[in-house]
Amino acid sequence: MSTDDEPPADISGPTVPRMILGNQLHRFREAAGISPDRAGYEIRASRSKISRMENGKVGFKERDVADLLDLYGITDEETRGGLMTLARQANAPGWWSKYGGDIMTDWFEEYLGLEAAASVIRAFELQFVHGLFQTEAYARAVTLLGNTSAPADEIDRRVGLRLKRQDLLTGPRPPQVWAVLDEGALRRPFGGQAVMRGQLNRLIEVSELRHVTIQVVPFSRGGHAAAGGSFTVLRFGDDDVPDVVYIEQLTSALYLDKREDVDHYLEIMNNLSTEALTPAQTSQFLAEIIKET
Amino acid sequence: MTDQHSATQGETAGTAIDTTVPHSARIWNYWLGGKDNYTVDREAGDQYREIFPGITVVARSSRGFLTRAVRYLAGEAGIRQFLDIGTGLPTADNTHQVAQRVAPESKIVYVDNDPLVLAHARALLTSEPEGAVEYLDADIRNPDAILDTAAGLLDFKQPIALMLMGIMGHFTDDEGYPIVARLQAGLPSGSYFALYDGADTNEAFKAAQQGYNDSGAVPYYLRSPARFAPFFEGLDLVEPGLVPVPHWRPDPGAEPVEIYSYCGVGRKP
Repeated sequence: MSTDDEPPADISGPTVPRMILGNQLHRFREAAGISPDRAGYEIRASRSKISRMENGKVGFKERDVADLLDLYGITDEETRGGLMTLARQANAPGWWSKYGGDIMTDWFEEYLGLEAAASVIRAFELQFVHGLFQTEAYARAVTLLGNTSAPADEIDRRVGLRLKRQDLLTGPRPPQVWAVLDEGALRRPFGGQAVMRGQLNRLIEVSELRHVTIQVVPFSRGGHAAAGGSFTVLRFGDDDVPDVVYIEQLTSALYLDKREDVDHYLEIMNNLSTEALTPAQTSQFLAEIIKET
Repeated sequence: MTDQHSATQGETAGTAIDTTVPHSARIWNYWLGGKDNYTVDREAGDQYREIFPGITVVARSSRGFLTRAVRYLAGEAGIRQFLDIGTGLPTADNTHQVAQRVAPESKIVYVDNDPLVLAHARALLTSEPEGAVEYLDADIRNPDAILDTAAGLLDFKQPIALMLMGIMGHFTDDEGYPIVARLQAGLPSGSYFALYDGADTNEAFKAAQQGYNDSGAVPYYLRSPARFAPFFEGLDLVEPGLVPVPHWRPDPGAEPVEIYSYCGVGRKP
């Protein structure tokens, strides 16, 4: 664990510190042979609170962390100091916390935390151009589609949030973004031909960034493994933190981090990446579609 | 980034990834602590480790040799072009990262014939803006094709470092020596050659490797240290010669561990 390598809290947000700290507390508790009930009692909380802490689902009171470390017999000052720093980072609000609850659901907030903290983001998109690559006009067209009765200022805020997310790509420590797009995502003209042309040009632009890779699965290479739909696999720099699969649904989202589940999606993602056009072929393909659009 | 080069068949797209037998790049990734491996690899990797617990250290030390060798080649030897055949899945210190940390203008050609490795390399092994990284879909069994295609990517009037890191174990001596000789013959004077592979000096290592080879995976054979020498025939071996990987120019303060992989770096006169 190297906290030195963590990006500043205002960029990465609290998600990964929570996951790392939770993971460590879990291991220390197991090593000490202490039950969740006993640990919960020690910090005046329930066993389910201990479970939520260890799974990185909640913030941490520094006093609770200190009490647990005492209980687990962790006396080494350096270890304790590192974990207390993590506890503070785990409570820092992410940049997205100022967006209103009407447009910011808990599950999407959780996703933004993971996205901001990831070192590699692998996405498969069946319908839409990935949110990190959308132009303002395209984002607006897609947002209007899903929120037909929303007032104009709400649409503005939703579009603003989507564009703000893209700061990740130009920040000081951008993640590697490796996206596989189905040809369908390039052919559906959201917002009309002009908007779509602008969007396709943007895709070519971002694909030239060193940390961005775009591969298209053309219709001619159908029958690929991902029939199920779009999904994202997030990887984090810390070896202790497992990959997380994110699947967005209409009114909620699914997060999978069990090894069997992640394996399944990783395998599909790998199959898609090997079946898709290479990045260089994709640039040519995009240029051809722009001519036709 | 250009990757329309292909020395064997067409592009790799469409080639299925076999998840029913262990896969050398994925199992290696597992031993190195990576996350790009499947159940079949982890099970085979754990079985291997039960018989030969030292395999994790072998994997880490071997990567350590790659790092030190590339640092030497880009540094002291002044090499700016690298032909790395048998790339493997990305890990912490990949050839281009080590070389471009020393000399950002370094040009690296990664060669592999595995679709999973190539897809990862194209997406994740990307160059510093000053240098270049190219990806070549080719099989080392056809060294002429590799040299022909590489000639369009590297300057064959300038020295090139040829790297074969842990892949010649996939070949018998009769297959392997001529392949390596042919590749070296195609390089200009002043070029370098770096290699490591597993050696047969430990019974548990041999037993574990036999079990792996019997699993249906692409087999890998351990060589006696003496059988490493013909790979370097006609080259001037750089000090300290052909040695176990931890003994090759160790970093200051490095703990000497007993390791059953051998390595060397040679210069073509």
